[in-house]
Amino acid sequence: MNDFSLNIENLSKSFTIHAQGGLRLPVLKSFDLDVASGECIALVGPSGAGKSTLLRCIYANYLADSGRIALNNHGEVVDIRTAAPREVLKLRQHVIGYVSQFLRVIPRVPTVQVVAEPLRDRNIPADEATARAEKLLARLNVPEKLWQIPPATFSGGEQQRVNIARGFIYDFPLLLLDEPTASLDRANGSVVIELINEARERGAAIIGIFHDEDVRAEVATRLVEVQPLQAAA
Amino acid sequence: MTALMDQDQPLLRVSSVTKYYDLMIGCRNVSFDLWPGEVLGIVGESGSGKSTLLNCLSTRLEPNSGAIEYNTRASGLVDLFTMSEAERRMLMRTDWGFVHQNPRDGLRMGVSAGANIGERMMAVGARVYGDIRESAAHWLGRVEFDIDRMDHLPSTFSGGMQQRVQIARNLAVNPRLIFMDEPTGGLDVSVQARLLDLLRELVGDLGLSAIVVTHDLAVARLLSHRLMVMRNGEVVESGLTDQVLDDPQHPYTQLLVSSILQV
Repeated sequence: MNDFSLNIENLSKSFTIHAQGGLRLPVLKSFDLDVASGECIALVGPSGAGKSTLLRCIYANYLADSGRIALNNHGEVVDIRTAAPREVLKLRQHVIGYVSQFLRVIPRVPTVQVVAEPLRDRNIPADEATARAEKLLARLNVPEKLWQIPPATFSGGEQQRVNIARGFIYDFPLLLLDEPTASLDRANGSVVIELINEARERGAAIIGIFHDEDVRAEVATRLVEVQPLQAAA
Repeated sequence: MTALMDQDQPLLRVSSVTKYYDLMIGCRNVSFDLWPGEVLGIVGESGSGKSTLLNCLSTRLEPNSGAIEYNTRASGLVDLFTMSEAERRMLMRTDWGFVHQNPRDGLRMGVSAGANIGERMMAVGARVYGDIRESAAHWLGRVEFDIDRMDHLPSTFSGGMQQRVQIARNLAVNPRLIFMDEPTGGLDVSVQARLLDLLRELVGDLGLSAIVVTHDLAVARLLSHRLMVMRNGEVVESGLTDQVLDDPQHPYTQLLVSSILQV
């Protein structure tokens, strides 16, 4: 696990809104960040500074304009910004886990299968994947009666826990966490803190956005500031 | 989505394909590689050239220029339009499937559901009645079709059931590549959701490659790994499906994405 790192160099990302006559909104400019395994980086900065945008660029969900997002996995280096779609999909299967703020799932797929999917994608037998998904859902206090129901109608906090379970069911070397405790009460929040710390101790590299300062204090090994561009200029 | 196979050759290699209808452009200068296990979505409004492209790729139409190479089991990448008509037809029977929007275009309405599947299997050499019937039942089961109705005519089925039979008919010969033209186009949303989930599962489990033409971005998001956006016969943007939909770069893609109705 020690030969895993993420090196972001000179990363810039802007949005061009064509419906507004090509209005250009710069969000990140010449951003640098190095993350090693066993680290948990907390991104800090005001809303709209580009913290979520940075996570999405690392997941290749957003296309960065320039710079490098070099992922070094046991000597194999891939620049996520320019990688072909099939390379990115492979990384998402094996290397990068992402817990977004909102759950996006296929209609009518039961919760337990939504959670088990990252394992099924890796050809882990259905019964083992299901057992692990159930264990994690139980740990996150998602009531057992909900496991066979698709999560579309769940409360915000329940959906968030399903999302967290999906992100933590497999030992991804890199975890991107966008406000993983935002809609959770204190008890469930502390389960998530435990999961994050366990992941870091097993050697995961973690980059997260944690608005709750208590949560941040319990998980972060380093704070990295993301400044809004106007203020930085 | 399920594991992409690690193979170092594309299954389909498309280079600068152009098709005109008289002086009208069907599609122009389209190039891409499709890899084993990959699902490519092609989106765009009516008249954007997506169906023309699909028909060229599946050799139903001959392009005016460009090359479409297919990775044959026997001799690797071969240009489809240099093959003989007989070779091409054999390939369509053994390696490919085509799921039409309207099941009537892909089914024989005068024979039973079971016979629709058996017929495809006989076309590739199956002869023993018991085996054919057993296999037809197996594939009908995979698409969650009520086996008790396998001897009934497709005209007595609902649209969703007909579409299931059409999909089973295509899967029964173990194809490597499936073309789909608006596969859930004419169906109720509830039937559509179940069928999409089923298609996604089957494509993943069987390791199939697929090219799915749709005007429905939600369908494209659910089914495809990769997306190509077409307008006026040309590909204006392509990339990872969620990237194209969440961070569209081209003005036309931005317009398409911002036009989706939210429920």
